[in-house]
Amino acid sequence: MSEYKTAIGIEVHCELKTNSKMFVDSINNYGGMANVNINEIDFALPGTLPSVNEYGIMLGLKAALALNCTINKKVIFDRKNYFYPDLPKGYQITQARNPIGVNGYIEIEIDGEKRKIGIHDIHIEEDTCKSTHAETKSYLDFNRNGVPLIEIVSEPDMKNEKEAMAYLEKLKEILLYTNVSDCKMEEGSMRCDVNVSVSKTEELGVRTETKNIGSISSVGRAIVAERNRQIQEIEQGNTIVEETRRFDEKQNRTILMRIKETGNDYRYFPEPDIPPYILEDKLINQVKESMEILPDRRREIYRNAGIQPINIEKIIANQEISNYLLDFSGNLVIASNLLLGEISAYLNKTGKKLAETTLSKEKFTHLVEKLDKKEINNQIFKEIVETIMETEEDLDKIVDAKKQDEIGEQELNKIIETIVLSNQESIEDYKQGKDRAVKYLMGQIMKETKGKANPVIANKLLMQKLNEQ
Amino acid sequence: MNNYLDLSIKEIHELLVKKEITPLDLVEECYTRIEKNSDLNCFITLNKSEALEYAKKLSEEPVEEENLLWGIPIAIKDNISTKNIRTTCASKMLENYVPIFDATVIEKIKAKKMIIIGKTNMDEFAMGSTSRTSYFGAPKNPIDKTKITGGSSGGSAACVAGTLVPLALGTDTGGSIRQPASYTGIVGMKPTYGRISRYGLIAFASSLDQIGPMTRNVYENALLLNELVGKDPKDLTSRKCEIEDFTRLIGQDIKGMKIAIPNYFVSNIVSDEIIKKLNHVVEILKNNGAEIEYIDMKYLDQAVTLYQIIAMGEASSNLARFDGVKFGYRSQDSHSVEDMYANTRSTGFGNEVKRRIMVGSYLLSGENAKIYYDKALMIRNAMKEEFDKVFQNYDFIFGPTTTTVAYSLDENLDDPRKSFMDDVLVIPVNMAGLPGLNISMGENENHMPIGLHIIGNYLEEAKMYQIASFLEEKLK
Repeated sequence: MSEYKTAIGIEVHCELKTNSKMFVDSINNYGGMANVNINEIDFALPGTLPSVNEYGIMLGLKAALALNCTINKKVIFDRKNYFYPDLPKGYQITQARNPIGVNGYIEIEIDGEKRKIGIHDIHIEEDTCKSTHAETKSYLDFNRNGVPLIEIVSEPDMKNEKEAMAYLEKLKEILLYTNVSDCKMEEGSMRCDVNVSVSKTEELGVRTETKNIGSISSVGRAIVAERNRQIQEIEQGNTIVEETRRFDEKQNRTILMRIKETGNDYRYFPEPDIPPYILEDKLINQVKESMEILPDRRREIYRNAGIQPINIEKIIANQEISNYLLDFSGNLVIASNLLLGEISAYLNKTGKKLAETTLSKEKFTHLVEKLDKKEINNQIFKEIVETIMETEEDLDKIVDAKKQDEIGEQELNKIIETIVLSNQESIEDYKQGKDRAVKYLMGQIMKETKGKANPVIANKLLMQKLNEQ
Repeated sequence: MNNYLDLSIKEIHELLVKKEITPLDLVEECYTRIEKNSDLNCFITLNKSEALEYAKKLSEEPVEEENLLWGIPIAIKDNISTKNIRTTCASKMLENYVPIFDATVIEKIKAKKMIIIGKTNMDEFAMGSTSRTSYFGAPKNPIDKTKITGGSSGGSAACVAGTLVPLALGTDTGGSIRQPASYTGIVGMKPTYGRISRYGLIAFASSLDQIGPMTRNVYENALLLNELVGKDPKDLTSRKCEIEDFTRLIGQDIKGMKIAIPNYFVSNIVSDEIIKKLNHVVEILKNNGAEIEYIDMKYLDQAVTLYQIIAMGEASSNLARFDGVKFGYRSQDSHSVEDMYANTRSTGFGNEVKRRIMVGSYLLSGENAKIYYDKALMIRNAMKEEFDKVFQNYDFIFGPTTTTVAYSLDENLDDPRKSFMDDVLVIPVNMAGLPGLNISMGENENHMPIGLHIIGNYLEEAKMYQIASFLEEKLK
């Protein structure tokens, strides 16, 4: 079976992060109560006309630039005509003939090997209504109608599910980092259709399209299932026909939805209600210059700063932390350890975002300096993290107070001596190599000092004491 | 019975200002005349109780002395969306459709305190040139009730020509204002494409449709146009222009104006009685210092073919929203969505509309879009350039508006192509997006009106009114 080559192309729809819809001035917000964010244009009442959301065009342009596309400076929209109840006008406004970006690529990395996956085009269009089907009736939610979308169409460049998943991860990352879309597959703001074909020759085989797959890992599984199905069909002497399928997560197989009729006839023609929109070079340059630093460039910066690969990926996975580190000029390794360690733990525990804490950029820089100069250690930081994150108190004062509060070394030594002497059993345990004895004794020390012992020093003194015994 | 409606708008306004009459007198007179002439079938829906109520209210308010259109009754073609007034497009599909919003032109008309009398009869979805495709029956020509009004703005033309209402709005996709204006002997302007917002105009062919004024004389036409124009953020194809008074050149001399008459417009497709009238006009123009030249222009003879491709292609898409799902007529006895679509559209639309949707869908299908639609757009551009060339040397292009006078209501019913040939002389203007104006040159021996077609350069409506008014005076 290994003599078959697989070719995979992916079409991704992403909702754009705009306030209003693409060709209507109603609010872009669906998911709540149905049919509240609509007006007469959403409803396609006779005589209504489209407007154009320029910010939507800007986001499309930004995505096209981030995906290394050639830009079509004359933005033209077309009508895609078909009948379906979720399509109020009877046509969708899209870009069929002159997509905003063409001939782009995404660089993926599999097992250390880099490869470019071609992007055929990226175009701007509008979403349809959401339909819900009950037993005998269907319901339409017009809130989703007209929501701005970009469709990113890849070349059939991917050879296996690993590459396909890497492509999608990378695409998602880029669109997230450029604030083009929030790419939530589970909420449908990013949707994937996957084209798969197999062939024994260099020529591409007949492809099928598996629609609306719910997650990136499911895309991987769907590809494997569909490839295996196609190979099995061919081996049994059957031919593959162009068809639309869906992926059944539970059965782990693709299921036929409909056979594609000879070339869907959407009767495309230029949308006469929207004159061409010209993207001036000045504007394109502005968008380029104001573009967020893309994830791969960030990886490079982190690598050069000496951050471990595993931490680099953790940072990239957390856009807030990554952005926080962007204009930080101190020790990036310490800063990233801090952010990924105690600060992340604190944020997870409290459910807060960094911006919701009192940790200013200055305070953070100061903190990293203190750690760098070993004025405080991670242990101390752990104890003062809440004060740092929740009050405006000066960092030096917090640290000083922490130190003042600590019981002096001599006094601490006495307390430790008393505790050790009155816990003979633990000494025996320790001598027999039982670690929990130390833990238990440390606990006793903290209890006795009401937590005012510096744990590092206490630990050091305790070990000395134990070894003396 | 009063006869205030026979007076000019200026005279009516003076009477209003002097408190000798009130808007209520005008509105009551309108409805008396409409009811007396109900056989003309000009209206699909009358706005009687609301109009009377509004007129009463206005009658108690101070007259806006600077606003000549204050309290003046107006009729609206039934493909323009009017809030709370049924808007049918003369189709069974919208027989019971009452809009929830006003077209931009309606907002403007209301702001000027004109009074909407009713919605006028027309060809179904403006598809036709005789108004006979109306689901509500054809309107009749007030000059001779056995004759067509022309179309598609037939009801608007007939109610102005019959002096039932002094002002009306029409729409013109391929001659639908100018041709019925010609057949009924009134003044009808299709302004430059983009002059007037199309928001609320129920689209037939978006790249050609334009709203325009239909009136009894040139001055009143310019007066009404003043209030209709302007860039509208709701219509991206509307144009931003300097504010101007379209009446400002009326009364000025026409000496030295250069007029081109394309030979195609006076070829053997035009009847002799019309050529004779045009020659008479040419004499008047020459005697008053205008220069006339007969020229050859490319592409004019292809305009109808281009129109059929572009208008029907766009219409097939524009009319897709009438699917029974959201508003309008829905066939009840259907067992699936596909059934419902098919039944709704086959019974909701009339034959001419269905024919055009089918042809339009075919023209845009698969490779046809390239073979027909794209090519038509290319020739359309070439035609625009041809007009541009002429306007480098001439102020106007003149010709007859129609090839014949209005024919009988029962004539040519079985030939759908005839309908397009009625508009052969006026369609090129829509293709180029230029302004076109019809005024009457007089009548034939059976008293049927003969129209003169004045084509101006882009945005030169004021100059067109200047020469039109001059001729109107001379032809009295």
